[in-house]
Parts: sequence; C-alpha cells; structure tokens
Amino acid sequence: MTRSILQRLIQAVGVLLGVALLIFFMLRIVPGNPILTLMGEHADQATIDRMTAELGLDQPPLTQFIRYVAGAVRGDFGTSYTLGRPVSSLIGAAFGNTLKLAIMAALFAWIVGIVCGVIAAVKKNGIPDRIFMGLSLFGVSMPVFMVAMILQYVFAFYLHWLPISGGDNWKCYILPAIALGWNSAGSVSRLVRSTLIEILGEDYIDTARAKGRGRMGVIVLHALRNAMLPVVTMMAIQLSSLLSGAVITETIFSINGIGRLAVQAINGRDIPLLQGTALFSTFVVILGSLLADSLYGVLDPRTGKEA
Amino acid sequence: MENKMTLEVDNLKVSFFTMNGEVRAVNDVSLRIPAGKIVGIVGESGCGKSMTARAIMGLLKYPGKVVGGEIRLDGQNILPLSEREKCSIRGSRISMIFQEPMTSLNPVIKVGKQVDEAVLLHSNVTRKEAKRRTIEIFREVGISDPEKRYDCYPHQLSGGLRQRVMIAMAMIMKPEILIADEPTTALDVTVEAQILRLMKKLCEGGTSILMISHNLGVIAQICDYVYVMYAGKVVEEADTFTLFDDPQHPYTKGLLNAVSSLRRGGERLDTIPGVVPNLLYLPEGCAFSLRCGECRKECGDVMPEYREISPGHKVLCTFAGEH
Repeated sequence: MTRSILQRLIQAVGVLLGVALLIFFMLRIVPGNPILTLMGEHADQATIDRMTAELGLDQPPLTQFIRYVAGAVRGDFGTSYTLGRPVSSLIGAAFGNTLKLAIMAALFAWIVGIVCGVIAAVKKNGIPDRIFMGLSLFGVSMPVFMVAMILQYVFAFYLHWLPISGGDNWKCYILPAIALGWNSAGSVSRLVRSTLIEILGEDYIDTARAKGRGRMGVIVLHALRNAMLPVVTMMAIQLSSLLSGAVITETIFSINGIGRLAVQAINGRDIPLLQGTALFSTFVVILGSLLADSLYGVLDPRTGKEA
Repeated sequence: MENKMTLEVDNLKVSFFTMNGEVRAVNDVSLRIPAGKIVGIVGESGCGKSMTARAIMGLLKYPGKVVGGEIRLDGQNILPLSEREKCSIRGSRISMIFQEPMTSLNPVIKVGKQVDEAVLLHSNVTRKEAKRRTIEIFREVGISDPEKRYDCYPHQLSGGLRQRVMIAMAMIMKPEILIADEPTTALDVTVEAQILRLMKKLCEGGTSILMISHNLGVIAQICDYVYVMYAGKVVEEADTFTLFDDPQHPYTKGLLNAVSSLRRGGERLDTIPGVVPNLLYLPEGCAFSLRCGECRKECGDVMPEYREISPGHKVLCTFAGEH
C-alpha cells in the first residue's frame, strides 16, 4: 500500500513536470506578444526591448524553462505581468474562494446525488425513480452556463431570494454552488442508482435479510457501503476538478477564484499567471486521483493490505 | 408421525406475476418438519424447492408472491405477520444458509462482525458479549483459530470456512429450524462430508433442518424424511429408507435410476427423457405425463391425487402402487 502510494507520487512529479513543459512551450507558440499587450500598441521599440530583457523573455526558451522550474521548486512561480504580484500569492488568495465554492458544490452534488440515487434504486421503476432519473438526465446534459442563468433568473432576478452575483458571504455561494454541482449531482445519482440496484441483487443481501435485518438496515449497513466503492472514486475525481477552478461558474457569478484568475491570465497574455494556474489545476487533479485510489484501498478490504 | 411439528407448511402457493402470465412456481405444497429431524426436499432445478424455502423465510424476490396457504412455526401462522415481526423471527427462530458461500458474505465487513450482527439484532447484549459468543460458535462449527478468523474478511477464507461462518451465523441464536438451500453444492466432496457431519451434529442439538438439494446422495446421508418435488408440486413423500427402497412415483424412480453406483458397474446411466416443462404451459392432467415412461391414456386428462401407499408414504400419481 505505502509502496504503491510512493510509486504514484513519483509518477505525479513526472506528470507535473510534463505538464509544465507543455504549457511553457505552448504559451510561446501561440500568437500574441505579452509585452505588446502589457505596454499598449504605441510603446516605442526601446521600451519594449528593455521590458523583454527585464522579464527574461530574451533568453533562449530552454534557459527560461530551467529558470522557471528552478523557481517553482522553491515555491516561486514568478510575478504576474498584469497584476504585479507574485503568482503564488494570487493563487493562494483565489484558492480560498474556489475552495468555498467547491466544497459547497460538492456537498450539494453528493447529498442530492446519493439521496436521489438511493431512493430511485429502492423504488426501482416507481414514480420517484422516474422523476429523479428524468431530472438527473437534465443534470448530466445541461451545460453549466445554462443552469447558472436559469438559477439567476428564477432565484435572484424573479424571486429575489439570493444575490445575483458577486459578494462574499455564504449566501452568495449558494447559486454558484448549485450551478456547479448540478452536473455532478446528476452523474452521482445515476451511478448510485445503478450500483445499488446491482448490489441489492447480491447473495449477501439475502444473507443479511435472513439474519433479521429490516429493509432499511440492509440498504444502509450492507448495500450502501459496497455501492459507495465506485461512487467514492467518482466523487474524489469530481472534487479535484471542482477544486481546480470553475472557469464558467466563477465568471458568471463574479467569484474571484482560480478559474477567473486563469481567464484573466489568458486575456492579458499573462504567461507566469497562466502557467501557475494551469500547473496548480494539474496538481489538484493528481492529488484527487491519488486520494480516490487510497480511499478505495481503505473501503474495500480486497484491495490493498496483502496485495 | 406423532412427533411435535416445528414447521408445518400447508397448501403453499407461490406465483410469479410476469408479462407472460402467472407462473405457479410452488403449487399446493405441504410439508411437515418434526422437531429435531432433518427433512429433505429433492428435485431438479426449477422445481420450486428454493422458492419454497424463500417463501418460508419471507424472502421471495419481486415479482414472486405467496398467493395461498399457511406456514406455521410452532403452530403459529407466520404469513400474516408484519414485516417487523417477520424480521424478529428471521435469524432467531428460523434461519437460512445459502448455496454459494463465496458470495453469501458481505465482502467489506469482517466475518466476525457479520456473525455478531445476528446476536446484536436479536438479543440485548453488549458488543463484547456478542464477540465472545461468536468466537464460541466459531469453535463449535469447527473453525480453527476462531479469534484470528473473527477479524478476517470473507476473501481471506476458503469456501469451506465461509460456509462454516454461514452456519455459525445461522446457528448462533439457536433457531428452531435451519433451512439449508444446497449448502454443499459449491463445495468439494471432502468439505461436503465435513459440513454434512456438522449439520447432523447441530440437529442433535435440537434444531430441525430443512435440507434442499438436487443431490440424492446428500439426502440419503442425512435426511430422516424426504419430499420429492416436480414442477412446483410434491410428487412423493416418505421416510428416507422407504423412498430409496420402494420409490413409487415414476419420477422418483427415474431420479434414483439416474444415480451412479459402484454396484451397477460400468453400465450407462439412465436418464429421464425430456426437460422440465415450462411452468407457464403445464400439460393438462399430470405435469410429469409428457416425460413419464409409465404414462397411460388417463394421465393427460385427469389431475392425479395423493395416494397413501403406506403410512407416511404419499404419492401424487393416479396409478401409484399399480405400476
């Protein structure tokens, strides 16, 4: 178990390095000069040259990359061209907001997804099942911006229950969290339903019933725990993608998170900031899948220990 | 039989309501299980033996339903009881072990905990006491090193050990009756013999056993009384000795002829021609008539009735005793 985690960590470092390399050179291939964007069209050549040298962009790309990696190892991801602050502190500040949003979205998605999935599975082919599965189809197929705008229209514009966007208290996060979690709720409920239906047909469910457990007890104590194995894996991966920043949701609801930071970086040709956010997202996703794997080992005694 | 009856099943009918119509999986089955005896049900796959067992446990799967009859445990009809009352009977007064020990235990819970669960559900004891009892019953059912096995997960145990765990779980509350649905089918012959010996020992401890099997060898070894089922009906019942010595129903004779034995030397085994009829389209008259070697003209028209050949030996055949 520890050995496999160690192995995965080494792999993770490799992946991070690869992603850094890819982003680094891709940003130098795409059209658009960051200096021009920064200085405006009317800057004179001397200023541009001076600026290029100051930012180190006159160095050969490989030198730039090695410098970048050397800095990154020490926690220095460069300074944002447009915002003038260290990338690491910008990401740190934005991550707080992304974290709040991600946790609320995940809680919404999981609670709704699991509860609906369980009810649908228990009442298979009944009315609740049809309603939930119909809704979950909307969940998995509606794009985030559409959900977000419908929510804004209904709950903010029409009913005035919640703020439409911006703000910093928890109320401002409710609509974005639902919009962002909507999709995951749909897929979680479908997965919970199908896994649970399969598991309720297993022999050990009969054993538990034969022991004298009631229907609810069997579902909660025997079926759900087995059904959670694939669901937990899915949830961990979902969480990492939520944490790596929700570009569309954060933009629509004006939340200063990682996703919005990345959009700003792209618009401003802000190379260090874009590299930083991309690398950070990669890191979170790797961490998420690592978490999923270790959780699986804990939940399922058949994997891990003696393996 | 003047013995006290632990379980009496009267005219049990179980139907499955499918798109194609009602399938009568168990059709008018009556059983008597005396205290402290082992009673066997034998028959081909699909003859309704497992459905009878599930109906007794109250664990029929949708769309199966009990549509008639009575199941009496110590004289009390348990069919009309509420689900809650049935739960309190299951696992404490009636318990069941299943065919597949490999899949009958929850893979993510320690086996000891799974046995504890039965104790904790039905008696008001502490977890510590439940664990003590579990380890004690593990020892009784012949699980070596019970303290260590308690903390094992099912995948760490062999098939024979898992079936012992299942038996321990079923026996820990000292039920009046144990239903064993092909408990040894998935096990190899040596382990089968051990498990059968264990069940016999349990029976001597006062528990009645309803043994379901398609294996006549198993039935002959441990049962006191045997019911032969075919297409949802009991076609012959007798004490084990009589049944094997003097079978009356053509189906029973067919089954016994299909068993190999050392005495018969190298002859080819007999088979019963044809297959079990589709329960949706049973022939008129006797359900076995299409496959019966001794079928007469009337068999296709007249529903046979039970005939008592000798006390306790009943046969569902119009011409029983005349063949």
